[in-house]
Amino acid sequence: MSGATAAAYLARRAAQKERVRILYRRALKDTLNWAVHRHLFYQDASDLREKFEAHKHAEDLDTIDKMIAAGEATYNKWRHPDPYIVPWAPGGSKFTRNPVPPSGIEIVYDYGREDNE
Amino acid sequence: MALRAAVLRHIRLPVQTLTATGSRPQPQWSFLRLFSSHDDHLTKEEVIDRVLDVVKSFPKVDPSKVTPDVHFQKDLGLDSLDNVEIVMALEEEFKLEIPDKEADKIDSCNLAIEYIYNHPMAG
Repeated sequence: MSGATAAAYLARRAAQKERVRILYRRALKDTLNWAVHRHLFYQDASDLREKFEAHKHAEDLDTIDKMIAAGEATYNKWRHPDPYIVPWAPGGSKFTRNPVPPSGIEIVYDYGREDNE
Repeated sequence: MALRAAVLRHIRLPVQTLTATGSRPQPQWSFLRLFSSHDDHLTKEEVIDRVLDVVKSFPKVDPSKVTPDVHFQKDLGLDSLDNVEIVMALEEEFKLEIPDKEADKIDSCNLAIEYIYNHPMAG
């Protein structure tokens, strides 16, 4: 009985940790979008890190869930309208710019002049 | 016009191969231009060197402990948030865009080097 609940507890904690990591990653990228100049970015990134470190030792699952939800709400509020996306990635400027031509297409080099040969 | 052609036929310019330090080793054929972007994929040594440089320049890391198969959290004693920061630094170094789920799994130098080496768009 306690083994099952311990496993469920650990599974829930692991899922929360993953959510926290993904939230931190997105928030960091967003910070880089807003603060382009490097010295400003380092300042803002360390502030963000402080915010995450302040609640590092929370134990109760429900408060952790609430904090993660609040963090995600703040992230959604502060999202940059024009984020930097690597050009070849979806949303970037080079995405599907030169798609691979469909197979079976071949170039006919003497079109219109076949009879003259 | 003919004078220009005659002059050009007689001028000899020395061919200089520019080898800047740290650049990709250009072969001796300096007149060969690689117009295609598909055959200049990174070599494994280059990937390893750049990944280790990024990890060593992380402020919380002791540079002497960094080897190509070091685990970020177990061997270097970093946090999971530090892991996220290192993966972001690697993304910036190689101009990659790693999806969130994949980035979460990169835990050690081994995985990072493998992922970057197998990525088709690694710059």
